[in-house]
Amino acid sequence: MGPKRSRDGAMKDEKSGKPEQAASPFMPMFEGFRAELDEHHDRRERIIKASRDITAASKKMVRTLGQPVPAFVTKGNAQYWEIIENQYQHIAADVQGLNAFRYPQITGGNQEFMEALSFHHYLESQTLISYDDARARVASMSGSAGAVLLTPEDYILGIFDMVGELMRFSITAMATNGKLPAGQPKKEAKTSQDLPQDQDADTMDVDEQTPASKPSEEPRNILSDLRALRLQLEMFEPGGGKLGADVRKKADVMRECVDKVEKALYGLTVRGTERPKGWVPDVREDRRPEVESY
Amino acid sequence: MSAPSGMIDPAIFEGLQTKVDEDTAVRDELKDIIQALEKQNRNISFVLSRAHSTPYADLPSVLKASEESIQNAIETVGNLAQAASKQPYYKFNSMWSRQVQDALQGILFWAWLGGKDYNGNEAKCGRLLTLEELGEVLKVPTNLKDKDEFHITIEEYLLALTSLVEELTRLARNAVTLGDYERPLLINQFVKDVFAGFQILNLKNDILRRKSDGLKYRVKDVEDVVYDLSLRNLVPKKGE
Repeated sequence: MGPKRSRDGAMKDEKSGKPEQAASPFMPMFEGFRAELDEHHDRRERIIKASRDITAASKKMVRTLGQPVPAFVTKGNAQYWEIIENQYQHIAADVQGLNAFRYPQITGGNQEFMEALSFHHYLESQTLISYDDARARVASMSGSAGAVLLTPEDYILGIFDMVGELMRFSITAMATNGKLPAGQPKKEAKTSQDLPQDQDADTMDVDEQTPASKPSEEPRNILSDLRALRLQLEMFEPGGGKLGADVRKKADVMRECVDKVEKALYGLTVRGTERPKGWVPDVREDRRPEVESY
Repeated sequence: MSAPSGMIDPAIFEGLQTKVDEDTAVRDELKDIIQALEKQNRNISFVLSRAHSTPYADLPSVLKASEESIQNAIETVGNLAQAASKQPYYKFNSMWSRQVQDALQGILFWAWLGGKDYNGNEAKCGRLLTLEELGEVLKVPTNLKDKDEFHITIEEYLLALTSLVEELTRLARNAVTLGDYERPLLINQFVKDVFAGFQILNLKNDILRRKSDGLKYRVKDVEDVVYDLSLRNLVPKKGE
């Protein structure tokens, strides 16, 4: 009764008369498996942690970016860039070669960072960062161990999320400035920086500011960019599979975001002249309390 | 207002679309092969399931009958390996992992029944193919680490092993029904040995963990069979 003994004769012999619980002949094999599975799990855990940290830092980054005060932005965000860079470097060695696609757990962090990166890029240059640039950016942050891969999926899903940030940004800007962010990024940075002083003389500004809200019909402003984005994202065919499911989920949210900006602008156009600066219908007035506390 | 905006370089989305379309094409190609493998797996398990109702002495006929479907599966896994090796392994492996596991399980069961060492005489049960031996049977690499090509992973092997244990648990009972009181003892030891192996693994909360948690119930099931046999003095004497 022991054909199985034949495969591991040497080990078997010393335990020949054994009852149960003697060492299983498969032990050496399983010990090998254990070592490799442990390695795999360690890698996976490092990546999950990095993905979370990148997500958290990216979210904070977006929050600072969202306040229309770009001058402080770069300074305040330096720490988050650093965190993210550290995390990418930390896991870079774990996702090389064969393991490049082994740990999809990184996608959460990648998407979130993509959102922050594209938003940042937009505020600086008013253009959409390309996939190749974004991938190169992550690669350059990954350090000497090799690049962490940013997949086209990460990119696309990150861009969907960025639409939400653009929406928040435009609505906050409309609420505080009484107009849609538009024009050259430098000009925009200036108006935003002027803001704190404006707020002291809140009521006095009303008349002055109202004519300024007219130029929101410039050929290019944040809304036309949002619409262009929406158009591209809707044209995009994600195919089946996971990307398809994810994209369909995010597409609805994305459309709503563009709608919200359009509605807010409508409100501003119809009633804008009757309202004091800082008042916008149908949106959260998260800016308002802050202003009053000055 | 939504005039062609200077914001988006149209090439960005064109490039992405191309990439995604390429992946879809790869998926379609793989899907055909995987479906073929699935069908062949069903054939293997169909033939091998006759082992549950075949007396020990007649096992060779079952093994012979299974040869063709096993050959087919080996060939299909070869095709899969060829197609899949053109891509990063882990990008698509979730597509076929299930089917490969089923094929592994079929071959493990076949080898356990004696198929691997069959030389025309009596079939000898109880052999466990190692991961490397499975790779040799299937003619594909196993547990690759520095090459990004198709291979059989440790996880796939272990998952197939848990399925083998389930199959053997069933066989232990059915052997008794056929009047065979020896194989349940063999299975009992085998299942315990496998279980002991699984117990030293540090598993995380994943499918392998769930499957290996189920092993203790299989161990108990087989123990119950042995208990029933010994209670009735049906256990063949050692050293017969």
